[in-house]
Amino acid sequence: MPTVLIVDDSSYQRRILRTSLEEAGYKVAEATNGREGVDMTLSLKPDAAIFDLLMPEMDGMAALKEIREKKIQLPIIVVSADIQETTKKLCMNMGAVGFVNKPVKGESLISVLNILKNYIGQ
Amino acid sequence: MNITPAQLDAITELVNIGLGRAASILNEMATSHVRLTTPRIEALSLKEILMGKGRQLNATLSSVKMSFTGMMYGSAYLAFPPESALRLVSLLTGEDRESPDLDSLKLETLNEVGNIVLNGVLGSIANALDGMMNYTIPSYQEDTLERMFVENVEEDDTVVLAVAEFSVEDQNIRGDTLLILEPKSFAALLTALEPAN
Repeated sequence: MPTVLIVDDSSYQRRILRTSLEEAGYKVAEATNGREGVDMTLSLKPDAAIFDLLMPEMDGMAALKEIREKKIQLPIIVVSADIQETTKKLCMNMGAVGFVNKPVKGESLISVLNILKNYIGQ
Repeated sequence: MNITPAQLDAITELVNIGLGRAASILNEMATSHVRLTTPRIEALSLKEILMGKGRQLNATLSSVKMSFTGMMYGSAYLAFPPESALRLVSLLTGEDRESPDLDSLKLETLNEVGNIVLNGVLGSIANALDGMMNYTIPSYQEDTLERMFVENVEEDDTVVLAVAEFSVEDQNIRGDTLLILEPKSFAALLTALEPAN
């Protein structure tokens, strides 16, 4: 069963994502900020990760940068409330495989699941 | 810096775009129709704001604050009367309104609702002007409107204050979206708006 790491400081948001991902057949791990997200990426070696952007300790953008600098091959989807086109462009330029806006419901959720399916199956 | 009525009208148009997006996001989250009043947007001093103009300044509100910098400077709030805040948390989490767990879910849930809705307001404005803003992490607070204004507005400043009331139909939930734009926002905003004027 592929593992997806959810990195978000909001337990509300993690709960919503966890429920949907488990229903879709993924094993889920959680981290609460970018630092933890990078550390768990290294130790847990998940098959894919979902990163929020605005988080304490280390934000999602910095985490994305560090993961790319360490040359870790990991499909990362950014799930953020930030709807700015410039933010989306920055994330995609840094190697994110998807950028989806919160709330993760309806079409947003389908987008996340489709991207995961394309990259890690299920 | 003085703002002319035409300039205020242009800023109003922009803020309206953002508030419309906020209503649509709330509607999606609550899966209930959200009614939005026409936003009241004024250039006011702290003294004028504290005169209240019909607003209950001393009632405590449950609110989420996000500050922003970049093409605009200021603070945005999503504020609810405490009862409405609890009803919204109950609606979104499925927790019973009488549940002892509801209060502990309140902070996390409202912070995320504030994050999503306020990003909608601010991001729409940034997108409309091809600009970029940086945000602080949203923070939950329980305070009066008066305290929020005193905390954010310098005594001699004139700020643009945008207030829109909304209600989630059938759920007896109401609240306000407040946007306080600092004076240093005006120059950049008005320059960005110029071609449209």
